[in-house]
Amino acid sequence: MKIRSTRAFATQIVLGSLVALGTGGSLGFAIVDLRRDISVSANTARVLEQRIAETERRVAEIGGLVAAGQSPEVLEERNQTLALGLVPPVETRVVRVGISVTDRLAANRKAEIFAAETGQNLAPVRFNLGGAPR
Amino acid sequence: MTARGFAKNLRLHLIAGAVVASFAVVAYRLVELHVLDREHYLSQIQDARHRVVADPARRGDILDTRGDLLATTRTDITLAIDPWALPEKIEAQKFAARKAAFENDQRAARAALAELLGMPAGTLEAAFAPAWKTIPVPEDTEDEAPDGRVRVRYMKLLEGVTEEHFSRIQALRLPGKKDPVRIAGLTHERRFRRVYPHRDLAAHVLGYVNKEDVPSGGVEAYADRYLKGLSGWREIERDGKRTELAQFRQREVPADDGWSVVLSIDCAVQHIAEQEMNALVAKFQPAKATIIVSDARTGFLLALANHPTFDLNEFGTTPLEKQRNIAAADLIEPGSTFKIVALAGALNEGLVTTASKFDCTLDSLVHNGKPRRFMRDDHRYDHPLNLSEVISHSSNVGTAQVGMLLGERRLYDYARAFGYGERSGYPLGREEPGLLADPARWSGIDITRIPAGYSIAATPLQIHYGMGVIASGGQLLRPQVIRQVLDTSGEPVYTFRPAVRRTVLAPATAETMARMLQKVASPDGTAKAAAIPGFEVAGKTGTAQKLIGGRYSPRNHVGSFVGFFPASRPRVVISVIVDDGHPPGGGTGYGAVVAVPSFRKVAEQLIQYLDVKPVTAPGVALAALPKEGVRR
Repeated sequence: MKIRSTRAFATQIVLGSLVALGTGGSLGFAIVDLRRDISVSANTARVLEQRIAETERRVAEIGGLVAAGQSPEVLEERNQTLALGLVPPVETRVVRVGISVTDRLAANRKAEIFAAETGQNLAPVRFNLGGAPR
Repeated sequence: MTARGFAKNLRLHLIAGAVVASFAVVAYRLVELHVLDREHYLSQIQDARHRVVADPARRGDILDTRGDLLATTRTDITLAIDPWALPEKIEAQKFAARKAAFENDQRAARAALAELLGMPAGTLEAAFAPAWKTIPVPEDTEDEAPDGRVRVRYMKLLEGVTEEHFSRIQALRLPGKKDPVRIAGLTHERRFRRVYPHRDLAAHVLGYVNKEDVPSGGVEAYADRYLKGLSGWREIERDGKRTELAQFRQREVPADDGWSVVLSIDCAVQHIAEQEMNALVAKFQPAKATIIVSDARTGFLLALANHPTFDLNEFGTTPLEKQRNIAAADLIEPGSTFKIVALAGALNEGLVTTASKFDCTLDSLVHNGKPRRFMRDDHRYDHPLNLSEVISHSSNVGTAQVGMLLGERRLYDYARAFGYGERSGYPLGREEPGLLADPARWSGIDITRIPAGYSIAATPLQIHYGMGVIASGGQLLRPQVIRQVLDTSGEPVYTFRPAVRRTVLAPATAETMARMLQKVASPDGTAKAAAIPGFEVAGKTGTAQKLIGGRYSPRNHVGSFVGFFPASRPRVVISVIVDDGHPPGGGTGYGAVVAVPSFRKVAEQLIQYLDVKPVTAPGVALAALPKEGVRR
């Protein structure tokens, strides 16, 4: 386009400036909005990271507490406190059998059932756990 | 539409000039900000907003062989107060009504905090009271008045706050308020802290990490390179409220958490050993004692209990003396437990057989052209003892004669081969090599003393692994504690295998020795109380007088029993070593008195826990039983 007068030139400058302002402003707003979105996303990611870290910290803490609660020493204390009467299994309290355990239990049961018929006065075995009242 | 229609020429020029001038001003300002004064403003931002934040790595866990936590890392929060923050915030409030409301809210919040922390409200209020401290005047640069008085800006309130407790503090709400209240001046610092859930269990094996995160002894120090991880860092920017602006995070190196280490130590076995140690200590009041349990086939340690011991969480208040792993760092004379060396050596060299007989009533014997006096036996024998009886009766005279047959050099070589006089390779902490002089420096009498375990010194671990040579079928195994290293996802990174240091005996010799040692735990042996029917307990008692003030004390002894079972297919080796034990009602702290009962109690529980099957079950011939993977 050929510029024919200074007035027309000035008008074009004003128009151009207004267009530039409008475009620049819109672009600026778009950039600000974009940056705000980036900021929101980054902060969301940061918050999530913090939550994960917090959860991991809680898991580690609870893991430690569980381990402490399952310590043999603590379990023994509870055994005493709750009067459970549990005792460690030792060889002297174990009867080892050379035959099939099923056959042995079945034989014992049959012996109890037919004790009256055979005239033998057999009483079933009663277990008395340590500390339990008789 | 033409340009003429808009306005007059002058006005248009003025407007155009103003627009151009405005742009020019803006452009100049931009150039000024971004080019001319760039460094100045950047440095201001750098100082005010830019930070490099460390991201510490979490130390890996230490697990027992079943995966139970022996050591772990958790966060520890320290609450602190800036006592001047509250008056400053009150001062910053512009309106009197808001100032009063803020003060009331803060007072109510502090009262709630005191209740949550379980401390008197007055104590907390006193802690929040602004205070001054005195410093040398030249150092007083914090305010404009260099009078040597500065404000106390940090006061520790409470240490060791748990995450759960802290989350309740953060969620503190005042009645009628929706959001949690922020207590002015209350700050916190979070850092990793090492905790040991089982307290004193396996204390000398684990070691500990001190408050400066420096590992001290045990697995903590040895496996530090795996456990510690690699701390990271990130460059961040913060806003005026000191909140990170995540979008400006520039560079970030994430922390690499430490790997976990799986030990061969079994919590249950360790507890059995420590429980027995407590009973032993209560009964005999020894100066020191050690119980060691290891896998006979691999050499991996299953338990190592020492007396005295300590709570790993209270390491700061424990004397260093109690922190020493006496199983590896203390030397004792092994006494009769060493007799297996001379006897096994002579058998292995073919110098004697199980039928060889020795006159154990002799007082002396000529060796290298000179008469050598024997150490007397406690019993007088009415017949010459065969090799099996020499060991089951623990005859000093018989063993010395076997030692003479073997000769100084070969006795020395076998002692070294059994691991005496050199470090066993125990990886955790300081280990003594023991004392075993070269034969060139032996006195004439040493050939009668050394075969019986005198004139030498060894660590309990050396004695234990010396017996392990017989149990493993003739091989000296390396003591090992770490089984695996796991990465952060629990995948094995490295697995430790059993390590054989050397082959000492032929398998047949080891088997013969095992059978002879079985007789020690028989009615005729010195450790008849160690026998467990069906489980072929084999072992050797030891009682060594302690060298006190250069003389052997008749009252102070080291009593021990080192054994394994079942003799035909050994599963575990157990050592009980009691230093200066005093049997109730007086008497000598013989190995048979102070150590054998503990051996038996530990063994009985291990039979059940490790599911050791009886070898001599009713109606089952020994030969019919399958043999497990030992060198036989």
